[in-house]
Amino acid sequence: MGGACSRKRDQQDDEETLQRGVSARYAKSGSSKWLATSFSRPAIDIQQGGGKCPSLMDLCIQKIREDIETHSKFSMLPRDISQLIFNDVVNSQRLNDVILEAFRDCALQDLNLGEYPGVNDSWLDVISSQGSSLLSVDLSGSEVTDAGLTCLKDCKNIQALNFNFCDQISDRGLEHLSGLSNLTSLSFRRNNAITAHGMSALTGLVNLVKLDLERCPKIYNGLIYLEGLSKLESLNIKWCNSITDSDLKPLSGLKNLKALQISCSKVTDSGIAYLRGLQKLALLNLEGCPVTTACLESVAALSALLYLNLNRCHLTDEGSERFSELGSLKVLNLGFNDITDACLVHLKGLTNLESLNLDSCRIGDGGMANLTGLRRLKCLELSDTEVGSNGLHHLSGLTNLESINLSFTVVTDIGLRKLSGLSSLKTLNLDVRHVTDSGLAALTGLTGLTHLDLFGARITDSGTVYLRNFKNLRSLEICGGGLTDAGMKNIKDLTSLTLLNLSQNCNLTDKTLELISGLTGLVSLNLSNSRITSSGLQHLKLLKNLKQLTLESCKVTANDIRKLQSTDLPNLVSFRPE
Amino acid sequence: MRKEDTVKLISAEGFEFVVDKRAAMVSQTIRNMLTSPGSFAETQLGEVTFPEISTTILEKICQYFHWSLQYASGKESEFHIEPELTLELMMAANYLHT
Repeated sequence: MGGACSRKRDQQDDEETLQRGVSARYAKSGSSKWLATSFSRPAIDIQQGGGKCPSLMDLCIQKIREDIETHSKFSMLPRDISQLIFNDVVNSQRLNDVILEAFRDCALQDLNLGEYPGVNDSWLDVISSQGSSLLSVDLSGSEVTDAGLTCLKDCKNIQALNFNFCDQISDRGLEHLSGLSNLTSLSFRRNNAITAHGMSALTGLVNLVKLDLERCPKIYNGLIYLEGLSKLESLNIKWCNSITDSDLKPLSGLKNLKALQISCSKVTDSGIAYLRGLQKLALLNLEGCPVTTACLESVAALSALLYLNLNRCHLTDEGSERFSELGSLKVLNLGFNDITDACLVHLKGLTNLESLNLDSCRIGDGGMANLTGLRRLKCLELSDTEVGSNGLHHLSGLTNLESINLSFTVVTDIGLRKLSGLSSLKTLNLDVRHVTDSGLAALTGLTGLTHLDLFGARITDSGTVYLRNFKNLRSLEICGGGLTDAGMKNIKDLTSLTLLNLSQNCNLTDKTLELISGLTGLVSLNLSNSRITSSGLQHLKLLKNLKQLTLESCKVTANDIRKLQSTDLPNLVSFRPE
Repeated sequence: MRKEDTVKLISAEGFEFVVDKRAAMVSQTIRNMLTSPGSFAETQLGEVTFPEISTTILEKICQYFHWSLQYASGKESEFHIEPELTLELMMAANYLHT
């Protein structure tokens, strides 16, 4: 109980971000990512009935939430209790400017108001009344302006501030923060106003460990003010597209830097040379920078490097032998580069690799032979390459593989047999037109699969019988057009499913909705381009977890769905037609 | 019920509540007091005094103990909390790890 106020200060884990980029778990259903993220404020309604007995504390908090309007003051409560109440009214979206007043002088430590509606300068007065107790404030996405930030001046103990997407904050606002020397984490993503001038306010923040200035296009020439921030471990200047080589020079002395993200900047090989001395650097993200294999000489000097993202750079085979010097790498992203099998030869010795992305590179079966020894690989991205069935032969021994993406490759049913021994596989993308039912038949041993993408594969009703083996499937996409209602008898029992995309199967009818009506875990359902009608919608009433429903080009109107939403599907936040 | 199966909870005003020991153990704090090794008075006498919990609140807490036992045995009902008691009850719940 004592430490009940959980502190989720870190907005995003850099390493996780990078790995997500590598694995591209939802390559196709990009839109499903938000199902797990954007709406992440947990709905913590305590259900009386069913499940674990609620604690007396839970019941009290729930009671306070119910009649929050009647409370005018919480400052007499111990801090950890008022913190719990605060967190609850935020999570349940009950907080507004009037109710906020009750939290004046509560000595709260964490005010996580990121993306909370209605937050503006008028809130800062109560926020700053927490005084020296205040440790973290998240006001991302708010209307707060420079004037509002003056209020924070006296909250001397603040350690973490998040002003992502606060487009009314400029250099002047940053100046107000210059005295908060206890800050360890500061974030100002997507700010078009901050310039080098405002950055000068950062010189005094000597305890800063993490700085996030993603998408701040005007900060060029401003990194000079970071020179003295010797504790800095993580710097994100992704999409600051005005950053050039000379901007990296002041970073050369930041010896504690562990993570550096400079994707989509103008940095070239000579800029990377400034980083050579960063012996603690574990993560380097150069995605979309105009760097060539010549930068590998500097990169090879980074002895602690584990994650290297060179996606969409200007790499060619020439000079690629330098890759062999990066033996400690765990994650390497080489997607969308002009490299061929000749480059893969130099990856042979990178036996620590756990994730390798070769998306859209000019590689084929021959190159796969160089991956045979990469026994630790868990994630392999081969989408949009010339890899075919003969290439898969070289991968059959990579038994640690958990995720493999073969979409838009030239693999055929015969090649899939080579995957049958990869018993650790959880995610398999086979969005390949040449894959048919018999290919699927070869995979029935992969019972650990949680994500299976057969988007364009030619799967028919008789192929669905093999899906019965994949009891752990959480997402399934089969959109090749070959399914009818009859196939649903093999899908209806996959009760772990949260995402189901059966669009483009134009023979599916309302009978399908009836058959899958027991898949109550579904969060996202897509049955576009089918013969579903509005009268079939009644079968969805039990799918209480549904957040996204897509029924484009069906005989269903937006009003039909809206009606269902209001009567039975309260969690539905996105639907089409809309 | 045998004496050793019950426990006596005493409020700030000295009011005594005799409750089923199993029910009182719903509170982690009370559980620790009654089961900790050594010869704490609480362990030996089966009595716990709460100088900071009023009779009204302690009564409500005892109601909760029994309610949660019933809940655990499948008899789920709603636990009513009077609005004017909520904050004080919450502080007690915090102390009792309940």
